[in-house]
Amino acid sequence: MNALALRSLRHRPLAATATFLAVLLGTVLIGSFATLAESSSAARGTDADTLVILGAVVGGWGSMIVLFSVASTVGVTTHQRSGEIGLLRTVGATPRQARRLVVRETAAVTTVAAVLGALVASLTGHALFDMVRSGGLVSDATVYDAGPASVGAAALLVLLVAALATWVAARRATRGPAGVLLREAAAEQGRMRWWRVLAAVVLIGYGIAMAVITVAVTAHDDDPYAAMSTSGSSSILVGVGLAVLAPVLLRLLAAPAGLLVGRTGASGHLASYNTARRAHLLAGVLAPVLVLTSAAVGTLLLVDIDARTLPAGNPDSDTITLLNNVVVGMLSLFAAIMVVNAFVAAIAHRRDELQRLRLIGATPRQVERSVVAEAAIVAAIGVVLGTLAALTTVVPFAIARHEGAVPDGGLWLVPAVVAGVVALTLGAARTSVRAQSRARVVGR
Amino acid sequence: MTTPTHGASALAVHGLTRTYGSGDTTITALAGIDLDFRRGSFTAVMGPSGSGKSTFLSCAAGLDRPTAGRVLVGGEDVTDWDEDRRTRLRRERIGFVFQGFHLLPYLSAAQNVALPARLAGHRPDRAKVRHLLERVGLGDRTHHLPGSMSGGQQQRVAIARALVTEPEVVLADEPTGALDSATARQILGLLRSSVTEMGQTVVMVTHDPVAASYADEVVFLVDGRVAGRMTHPTADAVAGQMAHLDDLVVAR
Repeated sequence: MNALALRSLRHRPLAATATFLAVLLGTVLIGSFATLAESSSAARGTDADTLVILGAVVGGWGSMIVLFSVASTVGVTTHQRSGEIGLLRTVGATPRQARRLVVRETAAVTTVAAVLGALVASLTGHALFDMVRSGGLVSDATVYDAGPASVGAAALLVLLVAALATWVAARRATRGPAGVLLREAAAEQGRMRWWRVLAAVVLIGYGIAMAVITVAVTAHDDDPYAAMSTSGSSSILVGVGLAVLAPVLLRLLAAPAGLLVGRTGASGHLASYNTARRAHLLAGVLAPVLVLTSAAVGTLLLVDIDARTLPAGNPDSDTITLLNNVVVGMLSLFAAIMVVNAFVAAIAHRRDELQRLRLIGATPRQVERSVVAEAAIVAAIGVVLGTLAALTTVVPFAIARHEGAVPDGGLWLVPAVVAGVVALTLGAARTSVRAQSRARVVGR
Repeated sequence: MTTPTHGASALAVHGLTRTYGSGDTTITALAGIDLDFRRGSFTAVMGPSGSGKSTFLSCAAGLDRPTAGRVLVGGEDVTDWDEDRRTRLRRERIGFVFQGFHLLPYLSAAQNVALPARLAGHRPDRAKVRHLLERVGLGDRTHHLPGSMSGGQQQRVAIARALVTEPEVVLADEPTGALDSATARQILGLLRSSVTEMGQTVVMVTHDPVAASYADEVVFLVDGRVAGRMTHPTADAVAGQMAHLDDLVVAR
């Protein structure tokens, strides 16, 4: 079984790369912040608190996005193999055997990536610590003191989440009689399991509750950062919650969003039906687009309001601004890679179908344009929902800092983030479809 | 079928040759074949695996470039056309029916049939699409997605799609290869009636003597050459000929 798993891996370098990258970067990101938390045990007084806040709180938000991305990448790549799993079942593999093949194959990739990620994290963790110290957030007396425990724990956490996601996806792919699985999953609409809906409701509800608490309670607190601690994570919570519902949202919103790209041309026509009727494929792209927008808009505006409204000379202000910017920077990088990752995976899966379009007479340009139009629909839905999710952080915090529901400044950040996210999504789509649509058409 | 006037020829190949590789390892898939398919004819192209059937179809459709020889569609030499013109050729003047149906999974039956027109930048003729779907017996399934249809129904949608542009020629590549025999007979009946009732031209590559018996004429390919022909074929006669193809080659 192990030999088969390894051989099968070699035939699937692209999907394996997507999983590998997600796990590697996820481990680096979570691991780096975990070293700060570990270093806190050797620090004293406020330094220890600062390091714990940095490592646990800030790292904690990030972990949520990272773990979600890892789970969704692994889920998508496993789901794409339903046909092959059906084939294995037909030639006599039991559901257990087929499941084990998928789980071991993913485990091989994720283990290598997590170990490598842990090694990199011990370096980047040190660099992050130096940055924190040179920024004056902790005193020079405090030193980096993290061993393998923190990065190891981060790697283990990512591995566990990846394994769980693989197992869930593999279970879904191996359920039912073998013959049914072999059929093209064309009519599939990406139904939601009850626990997914529940998770989304809990995340969104929690995010909104924190927003309400900010306005009702912490806005009146003497500590100016009480409001930030309650409202700061709302945009990420609601963003991830909406991302969990991505297949349903895409199916519902693809039709109105399709009007934007126009349904009259052949490419727009194809794109609007593909996004609506095969929402489960492109949901993997919508999720990181949405989270990227909500996290970036929410946190950047939060930092901007904070810098504008706090009395000058507050020593905490610089620290928190720097921290928030580091988080936004790292998460944006991560989410950007996830968007590209998700697109490459989705296009690789559609090679046959794009060939089919060429066979019945679509030009390479038409194929490219239809995929870019799909990306435009996904990006439009993603930035609108992401901005809405960001409101749960921005509005309560602006009220808490006496700016009213609309912040007094920094609104230009919204179109800037939106433009960046849209450009990234369209660019990822264009690059990944190019290689395929230009290939020579072959019969059959 | 020999040397008809241009106006009567839907598809013709002259000295069609296709080789792969070079030097000692050259493989000859087609060794100079001459065929002419009259308008309104139904021809089956048969031969064992590796006889060049699929290569012939690929070259005729402009999917593959011949090493030598000419391809004429509706009397027009399309051999040296660039990729864009070939794409337009496939879209507007050739209809395809594949073994694997090749429908777009996210488009309904009617949308799949209308797709060639859309790709060509025309507004699809809804009445015509509906008429064709009714003709292939799917008038009540126009809004169904391929995933909710049987193999036979999907292939009938593919036939409607191939006919919608009123192409010079419909090229069918093992159209019944993935279907059971009862469903296969329906599909072959549809192809037959498109020739008899609508005046279409159909060229069908197949392994199956029963499928070939629906055609007006069978062309046998062996080792990239035309090894024989049979008019008014019956399944038994074709099967008998297939069993003795080697004799045909020796007799040449």
